Amino acid sequence: MALSARAIEEIRSLPPRFPHLRSAVPPALDIAQEELGRLTPEAMTEVAEALGLDPGYVEGVATFYTLLHTQPLGRHHLYVCTNLSCTLRGAEEICHHLRRLIGVKEEREISADGLFSYEEVECLGACEYAPMLRCDGRYYYDVTPQKLEALIQGWRQEAGNGD
Amino acid sequence: MPEPNGAVPTVTLTIDGHQVTVPRGTLIVEAAKRVRIEIPVFCYHHKMDPVGACRMCLVEISPGPPRPQTACTTPVAEGMVVRTNSPMAVSARADILEYELANHPLDCPVCDKGGECPLQDYTFRHGYPTSRINAPRRHFLKPIPLSERIALDRERCVLCYRCTRYYDEITWDQELTADHRGADSYITSQFGQPLRSIFSGNIIDLCPVGALTSRVWRFEARPWDMAYTGSVCSRCAVGCNVTLWERRNQLVRVTSRQNDEIDEGWICDRGRFEYTEVNRPDRIRVPQVEGREATWDEAMEALLDGIQGAGHRLGISIRRDVTNEELFCLWRLLQGPCRGARVALEGRTSLPAPGEDTLLIRDLDCARAIVVVASDTADDVPIVNLRIKKAVSKLGARLLIVHPDRLDLDRWPEAEHIRNRPGEAAAAVRELAGHPLLQEGPVAILWGDGRGSEDTRELAAAVAELATRVGGRSMPLYRATNERGALAAGLISGVPDDLEGCEAVICYGPPAPGRIPASARFVAVWDLLLRPEHGSPDVVLPALGFAETQGSYTNLEGRVQFLHPVLHPEPPLREGWEVLCELGQRLKVREMDFVGIFQLQRAAARAIPQFAALASPPEPEPQPTPVLYGPARP
Repeated sequence: MALSARAIEEIRSLPPRFPHLRSAVPPALDIAQEELGRLTPEAMTEVAEALGLDPGYVEGVATFYTLLHTQPLGRHHLYVCTNLSCTLRGAEEICHHLRRLIGVKEEREISADGLFSYEEVECLGACEYAPMLRCDGRYYYDVTPQKLEALIQGWRQEAGNGD
Repeated sequence: MPEPNGAVPTVTLTIDGHQVTVPRGTLIVEAAKRVRIEIPVFCYHHKMDPVGACRMCLVEISPGPPRPQTACTTPVAEGMVVRTNSPMAVSARADILEYELANHPLDCPVCDKGGECPLQDYTFRHGYPTSRINAPRRHFLKPIPLSERIALDRERCVLCYRCTRYYDEITWDQELTADHRGADSYITSQFGQPLRSIFSGNIIDLCPVGALTSRVWRFEARPWDMAYTGSVCSRCAVGCNVTLWERRNQLVRVTSRQNDEIDEGWICDRGRFEYTEVNRPDRIRVPQVEGREATWDEAMEALLDGIQGAGHRLGISIRRDVTNEELFCLWRLLQGPCRGARVALEGRTSLPAPGEDTLLIRDLDCARAIVVVASDTADDVPIVNLRIKKAVSKLGARLLIVHPDRLDLDRWPEAEHIRNRPGEAAAAVRELAGHPLLQEGPVAILWGDGRGSEDTRELAAAVAELATRVGGRSMPLYRATNERGALAAGLISGVPDDLEGCEAVICYGPPAPGRIPASARFVAVWDLLLRPEHGSPDVVLPALGFAETQGSYTNLEGRVQFLHPVLHPEPPLREGWEVLCELGQRLKVREMDFVGIFQLQRAAARAIPQFAALASPPEPEPQPTPVLYGPARP
């Protein structure tokens, strides 16, 4: 079992809230990803079984949405907005700096310590605080290279303390 | 879809100046076929629901919006005027083709689809001579093995989704899917695992480009270099119609041949891929006596010596794809000199001979309820399984399953599954008469032998009783190709075969109950190959495969279908009926000196009522009517 009994139960309760059974797939996948960090074939199969659908269909849906991940990612996956407002306010520089900080060459590459990965995304609806990024369900506003360094350092320390 | 009762109101429309009257609800693309106009399609397939994904079928319709419309999703209307060759329609199709080819590698010279490729043909008929698209093409690793038998080339794919829709709609098993839907879509198997379905091969026929090709028949031949005949599959009792393809006297390919009475254009992977035995270099081509090559004359003498006086201790094992003609010869022998010999048929059920009025496969389309008893239909009768799925998911029949295990038919969410204990299916069937699902007829009951776990005699009685009480008809699901023919000839009956205790054994094909009985002191093997389970026989006779032999099979619904050989074996290989007739003549059986197979077939038709159809072999199939094309180029 990849998913917990609680998650499976939550997924099973979804269909009555939607007009079609298939409409329940994205929220169900969201629940699975929330729990596991990414969608493994086992997790997608369990989601499919819980909803009474075919794993192949669930896979097709999972690979469509950029916010659903089937590849492994770092423990903290940063979504850096590179839409118009953020780019005008230096998002490219943020990305460049971030790549250097965590030691990766491209999007979705995992840092050597397994802690970080990032991807560039379209507008996250916080243009007034550009440039911004999202990580672990939180928004970080008015990001500067210094702020970014502090954030990364914080997470590194947190991981180090946890060991 | 037009109903068979003919009560559907009709609609008259004009297509390119041809008036045509079709049932209401017919799609324009189908109506055009009636007047021999081919509207090009990629995503549309006449056995699947239309999706309108590829836009290849654009035509101009009036009255209608001033834009091209898809002929594959638009139903006909009274007084509609369709133009497939107006400037608007012609340029719309050419533009679409330009897009279809935007990512296509144009590697036709090394593509197995070349020569029978709709994309190639349509590009010649409907496309621009050059492309204005100068963007980089998509690249993928290729070819990707989807299974041992099928390769996927994503660069050639035009994303018509025929393959994924086939899996979803027809087989109920979405092993193929499209990942990263949108501009980056590509076809992939579920989580990258190999395809397991027994129906996977049909996607090769369905693919309108060279994206899905056979790995068994890879780089073997060009379509125009092959000879082909329409024949019948030899793998199971369903009797799907197939096309056999020959090149340099080798059977190089088997493809489907649509017969709506039986297979609707689908065949299973056994029929499609398990044909290579006939080409094996180690095939037996010359008779042998005690391990040394011999003439037919010597071999026949040795065979007669070996079985002489065996009486009821003679065992005859017959291969599953024995023809009706050979069965008739064996019947003659068993009536005469071989009276009392025991017979076994390879791979058969122990189901008894059918009643008078059995269900036909096509009757499943009209059934309101389908009961499947003691059979995993996907394994026993694969193409009947697809017909059940169609009746349930497209034609609204209800499904009731009586089986101990979970089956692939359980994918239907509303299927009712009664789990009996193995061996107690008859008791479960007896309780079905008042079942709410069976209140509305016609009811179709399909029943098997539970792979030997059920008492078939008792089950037959229970099924017959249920059929009478709910007003339905039943179909016993035989497994061996010509099991029904063997039952008709009285060679086997509803009890399992057993050759134990036989002292002389003639083994035609693989030994029937799995091995040659230990009691045999004389063994004659008559087969394409010497197999490990044959041991070391005293006499070996070469046999012909189903692609080489004349004859016919009786399928599980009692339909007699004729084989049309595509290979022409050279002497000393001989037809099976010839060998049996010679054996009969040497044993002094009267009336076994047939001058040809037609004479034998007429004699068989007179002797055995179920073989009556043998007297009238069908005429060769007419050549397909040529299709009219619109002006080729914009």
